[in-house]
Amino acid sequence: MQPFEILLESSAKAHGHLCPGQIVGVRMAMLGCRLIGLSEPTRRDQIKKLIVYVEMDRCTADAVAHVTGVKLGRRSLKFVDYGIMAATFFNLETGKAFRIISTEEARDLAAVYAPEIAEKGSRQLAAYKRMPDSVLFRVQKVHVNIDECDLPGPTRRKIVCSVCGQMIRDKRESMIDDRPVCRPCSGACYFTHAREVSWPDMNWSPGEQTPANRTNRDGDAGNRRFAIQ
Amino acid sequence: MLKKINVEDAVGTRLAHDITEIRPGEFKGPAFRQGHEVCNEDICHLQKLGKNHLYLIDLADDEIHENQAAAILAQGLAGEGIRWEDNPKEGKIGLHAAMDGLLSVDAAALAAFNMVDEVMCATLHSHTLAQKGQLVAATRAIPLVMKRAPVERAAAIAAQHGGVVSVKALKKAKVGLVVTGSEVFHGLIEDKFAPILSGKVTDLGSEVAGVSFAPDDETLITTAIRNHIDSGCNLLLLSGGMSVDPDDVTRKAIRMAGAQEVNYGAAALPGAMFLVASIDGIPLLGVPACGLHHRVTVLDLVLPRILAGEKITKKELAFIGHGGLCMDCPECSYPHCPFGKGM
Repeated sequence: MQPFEILLESSAKAHGHLCPGQIVGVRMAMLGCRLIGLSEPTRRDQIKKLIVYVEMDRCTADAVAHVTGVKLGRRSLKFVDYGIMAATFFNLETGKAFRIISTEEARDLAAVYAPEIAEKGSRQLAAYKRMPDSVLFRVQKVHVNIDECDLPGPTRRKIVCSVCGQMIRDKRESMIDDRPVCRPCSGACYFTHAREVSWPDMNWSPGEQTPANRTNRDGDAGNRRFAIQ
Repeated sequence: MLKKINVEDAVGTRLAHDITEIRPGEFKGPAFRQGHEVCNEDICHLQKLGKNHLYLIDLADDEIHENQAAAILAQGLAGEGIRWEDNPKEGKIGLHAAMDGLLSVDAAALAAFNMVDEVMCATLHSHTLAQKGQLVAATRAIPLVMKRAPVERAAAIAAQHGGVVSVKALKKAKVGLVVTGSEVFHGLIEDKFAPILSGKVTDLGSEVAGVSFAPDDETLITTAIRNHIDSGCNLLLLSGGMSVDPDDVTRKAIRMAGAQEVNYGAAALPGAMFLVASIDGIPLLGVPACGLHHRVTVLDLVLPRILAGEKITKKELAFIGHGGLCMDCPECSYPHCPFGKGM
């Protein structure tokens, strides 16, 4: 694994800014990988051994993902929305898993670890670099019970929604009256009032010079053949 | 795990912890020690102490008794020059100075340690002069039984820089004094500085190797500084000429003598015009005239730290500010007062 400062710089660049959450995330990832015995998590021979569960969608989550190389699309990054500054590092090969929790007291301790810095943000940045892991984190050894349908790799199961015909992958269906139903049709869903529409330049594609593409290139946005219904 | 039993049913069981007795103004200490086997005669005494129930302890694998916890904590907290015994009294372990010297407290690690639930450590102020055997800190776990993991985490936090408390013996320096001021040099007034500064040096176990007097002439002051260094002095104190008058040339002379890292000004009263510099690694302290009038000045805060091997820079002089205001009491009680204790 690269040194902390190099990881922090690249993580902050990827995330968009340097903030205390970046420092906590980079350090959390370094500690997590060390505890589960992965020295180079982004290297080809180790990348498939690692799954990380992040319990918050904050700056720290981006830093953890950046350092470990876990990705949503690889199914190696799991977001569990607990609102807790914590992440669990799970070695699929050994079954070892450690949950690392960022301590709340670290915020209060910034003033004693960087007393010479008056500005709050800069003080937190300096202090979070100085604090030892034992102050910044608590660690739990945990068992992770992962379902086969949550593992990386090919889709384990496909089933069609009995209401709308949508294909549902990896056991994400609900069973209503013993029939599979997708989440939107079950009503337990983040949106409401779904209504299919058409949209401007429906036939655009990146690979072909269609009339719609040429229109876009010429910036002639007014010459649209379709309007949103 | 703790099981509560009636004190009358406790005969034949062993006490899970020390039981404290307090007789106001007379006694505070353990009436019974942990492990004591309760007998019939104890029941009345225990009831007089307000103990109608006692705990029986059945520790789970991940639990420890407060006495074990206190020992783990003390191990982490104790740095260089600290002595402690694994013999907790009422759950507490004291940390003592193993020698005469200067106490140093890692305030950040101490704060972080105390932020862990169910453990505590209290110390004397950092930079207190401690005598051999003196209690400088004490620690304990708060509950009678607690989980091992947080205790070990607290101990790790304490040990992050080799322990929260440490005592360093003061070096025996060979000190060269340079008393500046034409009024003294020409005998217009009697010097008072040399005896005051000599007393402070010898009180800390160092020796004054030589005293020289120089008028307000930068070349002659420079020569006096160089002469002390050439004769083997490893700490220099200069008095007078540290202010802003045209005759105050001591600072200029210090630079002419080859001083590096000159820090002029300290966040203390008395002692704002104090100066710290070094020449070829030899510390040099410039003491302003307040040292004549006040029993205690910034010199008394800085000199022990220099003798303990600490490097005093702009930062250390600035951090003295909190608590650096002497109350100028009619009867000075330093070091038993807040002066210099805010660092």
